[in-house]
Amino acid sequence: MANKSVWSDNRFWRRSATWVTGFASVLLIWLTFDTSAQIAMGNDQDLKDGVVKRVPGPTVINYKISYEMSSKRGHEVPVIGGNDGEGNSLFQEKEKFFGRDDWSEEEAGKLLHLGKLASQAKNCMDCHTLLGNGAYYAPDLTKAWLDPAWGPDGAMQALTGKETKEEAMAEFLQHPDQFATHARMMPDLGITKEEAIGLVAFLKHMSSIDTNGFPRNFGRMQGAVNGK
Amino acid sequence: MANNHLTSESKQLATWYFTFAAILFGAQLLFGLVAAIQYVMPGFLYGILDFSIARILHINALVVWMVFAMFGAVYWLLPDETGIETIGIKIGKLLFWIFAAAIVVVVLVYLFIQVGPADETTIWFITEGREYIEAPRWADWGIVVVALGFVANLFLTGIKGRQTGIVTVLMADMIAFAGLYLAGMFFTDNISIDQYWWWWVIHLWVEATWEVYVGAIAAYGLITMIGAHRKVVEMWLWIEVAMLFGSGILGLGHHYFWIGTPEYWWEIGALFSALEPLPLVAMFIHVLYDWGKTQGAEMANEHTDEDNVKSVINNKPAFTWFVLNAFGNFLGAGIWGFFHTLPQVNLYTHGTQFTSAHGHLAFFGAYATILIGMMYIAVQGTNGIKVMKHTKASIWAVSMITGGVVGMTVALTIAGYVQVLVSRAQMGATWAAYFDGQSGLWFTQAMDWRLVMGVVTFTGFIFLAKDLLTTGKNPVHER
Amino acid sequence: MIDPSVIRPEIAVNDFLPIFVSSALVLVFGGVYVGIYTAVKVKLLKPWAMVVAYSFWALTAYCLYLMGSLIHVGDFTAKALVVAAIGLFLLPFAVYYMQHQVHEENEH
Repeated sequence: MANKSVWSDNRFWRRSATWVTGFASVLLIWLTFDTSAQIAMGNDQDLKDGVVKRVPGPTVINYKISYEMSSKRGHEVPVIGGNDGEGNSLFQEKEKFFGRDDWSEEEAGKLLHLGKLASQAKNCMDCHTLLGNGAYYAPDLTKAWLDPAWGPDGAMQALTGKETKEEAMAEFLQHPDQFATHARMMPDLGITKEEAIGLVAFLKHMSSIDTNGFPRNFGRMQGAVNGK
Repeated sequence: MANNHLTSESKQLATWYFTFAAILFGAQLLFGLVAAIQYVMPGFLYGILDFSIARILHINALVVWMVFAMFGAVYWLLPDETGIETIGIKIGKLLFWIFAAAIVVVVLVYLFIQVGPADETTIWFITEGREYIEAPRWADWGIVVVALGFVANLFLTGIKGRQTGIVTVLMADMIAFAGLYLAGMFFTDNISIDQYWWWWVIHLWVEATWEVYVGAIAAYGLITMIGAHRKVVEMWLWIEVAMLFGSGILGLGHHYFWIGTPEYWWEIGALFSALEPLPLVAMFIHVLYDWGKTQGAEMANEHTDEDNVKSVINNKPAFTWFVLNAFGNFLGAGIWGFFHTLPQVNLYTHGTQFTSAHGHLAFFGAYATILIGMMYIAVQGTNGIKVMKHTKASIWAVSMITGGVVGMTVALTIAGYVQVLVSRAQMGATWAAYFDGQSGLWFTQAMDWRLVMGVVTFTGFIFLAKDLLTTGKNPVHER
Repeated sequence: MIDPSVIRPEIAVNDFLPIFVSSALVLVFGGVYVGIYTAVKVKLLKPWAMVVAYSFWALTAYCLYLMGSLIHVGDFTAKALVVAAIGLFLLPFAVYYMQHQVHEENEH
């Protein structure tokens, strides 16, 4: 008969399992509080005051957004309203969104709300990835707003016959089957004009989220975004 | 399934759960095939059953058949573990029908309504549009009610009957499992917060609570199939719980690299991800150890020539699936998880076919295998079989399903590699970069092979279904 | 944490394949190590096979090192990887020791 050892005692291991699980859970909950505060959506005042938020307020659609190398962070970050040269946002340069750059907090919030609802009601995530999560049957939409294909030199404005990026995107979303670029076509999901505008606002807002440099080198091939 | 050898109502209910699970498993494979065909021929069912819908059905059927089989396995083992009939079994049976009916309605809505206008009614009645948990809100509440009923059955029985270590672990685990679902039931405009909580459901299910569940089921299986020593197995179960929750809960961090959450998740995710394979390796040793010990003891007792040594395994097909589980969990969740989990690499692999390769092998290796094993244990019990042997069909089923899934995984890994190299590292993840990667020769050929392997898997499933339905009456088994 | 003055190095295109292969091999070799170790202990293999087991652990550690250097891990992750390698080395000892103790107590 061997000696009773603590290492072969069921009660010891049951207690260890309980403590380890409890400790990990408490740590996770604590981190969740910290993270929740850091990813809470900002507001219009933050943008006016130049306060950097990981997830800016909806009125970020009034500003020019780009995705550039931050010398401090060591990777690309969303730059809102102009770059100070080091990859920090200046929150000054505006950009018209469907002809206006003075969307109020309430209007912009409504657009974003509609767009987020549409992104779920149309099952976007079951073909595309958003922030890299979803299905892999269609391109990632994290920084779709900044994709050179929709810019002045890209193919999509000419294809849809529209003058601006946001109008081209909204037109595409309403009739994706008419503007197919590949054999793998997006189907017509019955997206209305209002929903399309909401979705474009949602995409523009998503491109302003600080994703720690994901995706890397976005649009580098065309040299149109960060020019590196 | 004939119930003539089942005296326990709990076990009878378990066979209902297993039957419905097997049907959904078939549906999962069928819709997976549709999606796989669409990668090869994009025009296939375009506008009728688009990729998004086929994929929703593919992954939702996956989650739901596993949940059904998990519930079934618990109802199966409860009378054995606690020594009493499950309490509230009548309500359990009623909830089964409610659950099954709700699933059928949800599937019909997915198939025929598909999408809705951008308002709350769509979220409530058609789809929530969040990968894996697309089920509309009404069904969410239905699931909560059914899960609570199940947990109540388990708790009341566990408290009144003999409370073994296995039952205790299951009680704690299942309440966490049910509770975590609540984290995925709200709407927010902030997609970072949306995905933060969405991962609580997905990750804390499949990389924590489901893994612990598998540990408990494996413990039960080792005791019933090879007569492993309960105290050893249960002590081991507690160690596994400590290792799995210790690494898995904070392993959640590896999903928080790029969704808007702070950079400290890189370190947390990297550290706990590196530890996550350890319990899987340990589970693998444990099965080998227990089998080696009991088989070794048997060999020593017999003192006869090698050919006459009696196997200690009383259910060959189930044991095969359990061993595949230990191995597949390590391979799919361990190896295929580890090689793209560190943030430096994940920056390029996140959201590519690598993830889907990992998903296929991990869900199969870690969960499908052991749940199929439990189905075989149920067939054995239902038919009063003492020693259950392999049949031709069971061998074909094991080899074709395993071969098919491994084949799909390898094909998807190759596709993912092309995507990482072309679409991500060289071209920077734009729309054009994406399609350049998708049209590469290696990528398209990999997708062809994935389809072929998918067909192999489905054929294996037909053998499995045939075997589960007929093997009980087969005279090869010892009764 | 990253040094503010250093821009995080990118992974060279040619390094992706060795990275994926070495990180997969980390666990393949690791699994073989614990597999052989356990098999020797439960007497399914002869004792000399233990040398083979330890060589597989060495290969694991090498693959981990290779992977870590190719992806340019930071200080913290490097430490985490070393901890994981040592953890893997000790794992079968701990598991076997505990299993054995319980068997001794319960079967003799």
